[in-house]
Formats: sequence, structure tokens, C-alpha cells
Amino acid sequence: MRLVLSAVCVFIGALLFALPNMTRRELLFAVPVPPDFRESGAGRHAIRMFRMVVLTAVLAGVCALPLSPASLLDVTAAAAPLAIFLAGGIGFVWQNRQLAPAAVQFASPREAELTAAPEKLPRFAWFAASPFAILAAAAVWLFLNWDRIPPRFPVHWGAGGQPNRWADRTIRGVCGLLFFGAELCAWLSIMALASWFGARRSRSRSVMLGGVIAVGNLLAVLFALIAVQPVLGMPVWVIVLAPMAILIPTIVLMVNKLNEPSDPPDPTPNERWKGGIIYYNPDDAVLFVEKRDGFGYTLNFANPVSWVLLLSLALVIASAPFVIA
Amino acid sequence: MAPNPRIRIDLASGIPAVRQITDNLRVLLVEGRLVPGSTLPSVRRVAVELGVHFNTVAEAYRQLAAEGWLDLKHGRGAVVVARAVPAVTNGVWNRDFRNRLRGLVAQMRSQGVSAAGIADELRAMAKVVTKT
Repeated sequence: MRLVLSAVCVFIGALLFALPNMTRRELLFAVPVPPDFRESGAGRHAIRMFRMVVLTAVLAGVCALPLSPASLLDVTAAAAPLAIFLAGGIGFVWQNRQLAPAAVQFASPREAELTAAPEKLPRFAWFAASPFAILAAAAVWLFLNWDRIPPRFPVHWGAGGQPNRWADRTIRGVCGLLFFGAELCAWLSIMALASWFGARRSRSRSVMLGGVIAVGNLLAVLFALIAVQPVLGMPVWVIVLAPMAILIPTIVLMVNKLNEPSDPPDPTPNERWKGGIIYYNPDDAVLFVEKRDGFGYTLNFANPVSWVLLLSLALVIASAPFVIA
Repeated sequence: MAPNPRIRIDLASGIPAVRQITDNLRVLLVEGRLVPGSTLPSVRRVAVELGVHFNTVAEAYRQLAAEGWLDLKHGRGAVVVARAVPAVTNGVWNRDFRNRLRGLVAQMRSQGVSAAGIADELRAMAKVVTKT
């Protein structure tokens, strides 16, 4: 298990290592630069320094995991990836500050089409309903097989793969996780709608919508598998790997879409980005804006709806102990 | 089917966004590309697309409504209405218009646009004006 956890740290490190190459060529550490800037001495130096920080954190994490005593393994297993993320974040903001003087401002003309026709969601948006169908199917199947559920069964596993939390055969014990999954998927559905109607029209907007819908489906499969596990007695690795059947094709599809010729970069004002990661612009009505660190979208934190979305997610998470046995 | 008309603004131009939106819309209204009865998109949609505050678009719509181009009824959005051309009472407009046009031409020339290019543009514009 320590080997698997080390592999997870290396995987996260590899993703962070590739981060400078996972943005438009006009952006380096969220700073708008000329497309050939990353081949210049300053560009190469910034990438090298960032990767040094990531590499140091990965090595520290990979060394800490085998050396950690068994009693602290759960803490180390959570702390190591977190520390790598944190180091990556610090390295990113550091290089963002270093490159800020070289920033150029994207050409800023913007266009709006004057049509009052209502915006239509793409057809694939119907897949936002499938997580609820998956969770409902799992609940029905559990009720049909109620007698096969053990009186007491594991619902959570530690870093060593050993169960560390148990539930009883009650409605809450059996279906609590499904209810929580439904809550989370409902929140994701709202998020999907907000991301569509609260972002500027662009090709990547539909990619973002697809991504949010895919995450909902992935979570539903994961929660449904954990819920039916007491009856089927699947090994934990099946539960961990099965959602990959959704995740991997989704990532491949999204990367293919994002590699297609894209719209010009969103000319958001440089001074409205904090550390290149947080967008705060009270003069912009947009709710979701193209990220400058990697692909995807982020919230405009000056829009009050963004805080409503975050607060509602916090409420969903806070409800977990009451919903799940 | 003709594509929907579009407006284009540049937030870095130094010209207030509300003026750019109002001017863009007025051009479309005067040229007849926005005809009476057509509904403009919601304030929210235009604001999101242009990257400005809701109030900026709302103010532009209000200005055009005050000029008689739009009817802003709650729940119906901004509807283009037939507008009676106001009667000109004196010749001040002529002087004012000429001064503004000369200023604009001077600005274009100082930015390197050739005199021939400006003349071509004015001729093309004159054709559009006489048609509408």
C-alpha cells in the first residue's frame, strides 16, 4: 500500500511538472506573455525553478511514506500529496510574481451577438440526469437484496486498505451514502447549469460543461459501488478503478477537444488576477472565466453567486455526518 | 438567413464602456439592422459577453430608451420601437457635426490612416446613410 501511495505522489508530481505545458502558449504561470517567451532564457529559468520546487516536494513525500510509522501512515498518506500540491501552488505563485513585469495585455476587443433567442444547452447535458438514475438503481437493487446485506458492514477504508468505519443494516446505514451522493450530484448539476449560463460563449464552455457532468457520473458510480459492496463483496481496488472507466475516456475526449483550434484568449485584465489563480473583478458580470493556470474555468470571486455556490458546497459536505451513518 | 448583428467594444480604448455600447447599438438602429419589434438580449447576457458590469449595459439601454429607440418594459426585455425623427430647429447641429467629424478624421490621420482610406470610408458611409 505504501508503494501505491508513493505512486500517487509521483503521479501528482508528474501532473504538476507538466503544468507549464498545459496552458496556452500565450500564458506562462498565468502571466500573459508573447508566444515565444517560454523558449527565452527568462521563460526557461522560470519553468526550471518551478520544477525544482515540485521535484523537491515529491522526493520529500516519497521518502516520508516508507519511513512513516504504521500508526502515522493515515496522516502521512494525506499530508504527502497535500504538501506536494501546496509546494506546487507556492512555486506557481512565486514564478507568477517573478514574471509579472514581463506581462503583456491580451488584445481586448469583445463581441456580443444581439439575439434574444434563449441559449440552448447541448444535447449531452441530458447526461446530468444519469447520476440520479445510477444512485436510484443502486438503492432499488439494495432494497431487493435487503436480506443479503450483512447486519454490520465496512463503509470506509484506511490508507492500508483496511476497513476503519462500519455501518449497520438500517435505511440510513445502507442508503446514507446514496443520499449523500444524490446531494453532491444535485450540487454538481446546479454547477453545470451555472457554468453554462454564467460563462462567455466559447468552444471551451461546452468542454467545461461536459467535464462537470462527467464528474457527477463518476461520483455516482463510485458511491453506488461502495453502497452495493456489502452485498457483492468486491475488492477495494475494483471500487477505486471502476470510475476510471469514466474518467479516462472523459480526459481523452476533453484533451482532444481542447487541442482543436481554440478561440483567442479571454482578455481579462491582468490586474484583476491575484497570483494568477484567483479572478476578482467586480466590473465583470461573468461568473465563470477561463483559468490562466492550466485548462478549465474558475470563478469570478467578485460575483456574489460564486460565494453562494461555494457556501452550498460547504453545506453539502457539512451534511455528510447527518446523512451517512 | 442573415447573421445576427453584433456589437464590439474595447475596454482598453479609454472610451467608457457605456458609451461604446450605446454608440454601437445606435449605429445598428440607424442603419436599420435592428428593426422595430426586435428584442435585444438581456442585460445579463450582454454584460457577460462583453465583460462589463450589469449596470453598464442597463445604462446604455436606458440612454437609448430615453432617445426613443427602445421600449424597456419589465419582463419583456428591451424592444426596438419605431422612432419618429425629431425636427431640427437650428443649424447648430451642422457645425457640431462638422467639428466632430473633422476631429475624428484628424485623429485617424494622426494614427497613420491614409487620407485616401478615410475618404473611401466616408464615401462608403455616405452610401449607407442615403439608403437608410
